Amino acid sequence: MPGGRTASRRSGSGAMTRRVVTRTAWRVASLAVLLGLWELAGRTVDTLLLPTASATVGALWHLAGTREFWSALWISHQAVVIGFPAAAVLAIPAGLALGRWTALDRWLDVHLSMLLVTPKSAIMPLIVMALGLGLMARGVTVFAFAFPVMVATTRAGLRDIDGRLLEMARAFGATELHVWRRILLPGTLPAVATAVRLGLAQAIAGLVAVELLLVAVGLGHLILTFQADFDAASVYAVVCVVAAEAALLIRVATLAERRIGAWRGDAVHT
Amino acid sequence: MIAISHCSKSYPSQNGEPAIPVLAGLDLTINDREFVCVLGPSGCGKTTLLRLLAGLVLPDAGELTIDGRPITGPSPECGLVFQDFALLPWADVLANVAFGLEVRSVPPAERRARAQALVDAVGLAGFERHYPRQLSGGMQQRVGLARALAVDPAILLMDEPFGSLDSQTRRALQEDLLRLHHQNRKTVVFVTHSVDEAVRLGDRIVLLSARPARVEEIIEVGLPRPRPDDLGTSPRFVGTKEYLWKRLKRQAAAGTGANVI
Repeated sequence: MPGGRTASRRSGSGAMTRRVVTRTAWRVASLAVLLGLWELAGRTVDTLLLPTASATVGALWHLAGTREFWSALWISHQAVVIGFPAAAVLAIPAGLALGRWTALDRWLDVHLSMLLVTPKSAIMPLIVMALGLGLMARGVTVFAFAFPVMVATTRAGLRDIDGRLLEMARAFGATELHVWRRILLPGTLPAVATAVRLGLAQAIAGLVAVELLLVAVGLGHLILTFQADFDAASVYAVVCVVAAEAALLIRVATLAERRIGAWRGDAVHT
Repeated sequence: MIAISHCSKSYPSQNGEPAIPVLAGLDLTINDREFVCVLGPSGCGKTTLLRLLAGLVLPDAGELTIDGRPITGPSPECGLVFQDFALLPWADVLANVAFGLEVRSVPPAERRARAQALVDAVGLAGFERHYPRQLSGGMQQRVGLARALAVDPAILLMDEPFGSLDSQTRRALQEDLLRLHHQNRKTVVFVTHSVDEAVRLGDRIVLLSARPARVEEIIEVGLPRPRPDDLGTSPRFVGTKEYLWKRLKRQAAAGTGANVI
């Protein structure tokens, strides 16, 4: 029986590897088709505003050789490096607390709802007015973008925990500390990973928005400069860099999320 | 000894309508080391009775005592087995079984040894590192049973523990429960809606009325322990089942009558 289980699990993981390979192949093919169509459109339309895919790749290659690009990349990321961890460190405990203590949630839910529905770009001018055009303003903007969704996702994760488990714990005489350690924290962990993934996507959106709209430094500044020069290929190149980075980070976060939530299981072995 | 006297409980209903009475002046005494099955029509308040005994809810009126002490909250004397297993999905079998021990601050080494002993006792040796989702329903409830027994409670409270299992698995778990009960006699309060199960397991069967529940009748099963292998064909077993069936049917008929009026 145990031998049978191991065997079936091994063949299961083999099937999974095949699935992953197939999925990756589809993605690459789909991207190749997109690039092909882009190239074709760029060549037929022949306008300054739509560079060809090859011209964009060329611009990217050129950019990667400039100091200006790397320093812009670094400057932009300072805001994320400051703003995102701060948002995570505050949002996750806040989400846990709001999920657990309904009295607290009754007081604060309306504020969180407002934060969630307010277009973040609308508060950016306020942040800049208060904090100037420095790194602080950009960091706070990233924070403001990432914070609400992380609180809400964490809170939802904690509330999603089966109430019957909490009753079980109570029946066994568990203290609040035990309930947190054995039920609330492990039960919310997958949601926290989701919160980090969603927060990261928001953080990058915030980073680009503030640089394009208000504080013209870093990648935003680069985009605006290329735009003024009608250098569409370089604009596209920078946008591609941001998109690729976001995709990569989110991919990593998704993998972490799956690993953390492994007990939920895709396959049942019986 | 568990003593329940004039116990009443109602649950508030939605939309501000009057509260729904679930138990109305219920009286019942359960002796030490006795196996009592609580049987009644579905929704009659069996689970509420068990939740009261577990100290998860308190009665509106009346008194529940264990050895003379009133029940004011969950007590270490009681071990609970839940209908839906209530296992931690992120913890393996051993950690689930050890949950109650951990809560009671049993030192880690002793905790592990005791949990392992119970994993063995319920026939799950070799599955210590499996997660609940990797186990069948019957195996999951074995974990639930081991978790309740691990804290060595004087009273085992079981809420339709085998209700969601297929009949074969159910029979296997019933046999195991009887064996464990025989080895280490505890007071067992076993809620079920299966007549067969009640007669198979219990020393006494408490038949509850339709909601609000009162004790309608107490039946002494009077079958020998350990239960003989040919239990299914023994006249006393068949007769008791027959009798209970008739009682339940009459009750159901009376219930509908009351609703119509």
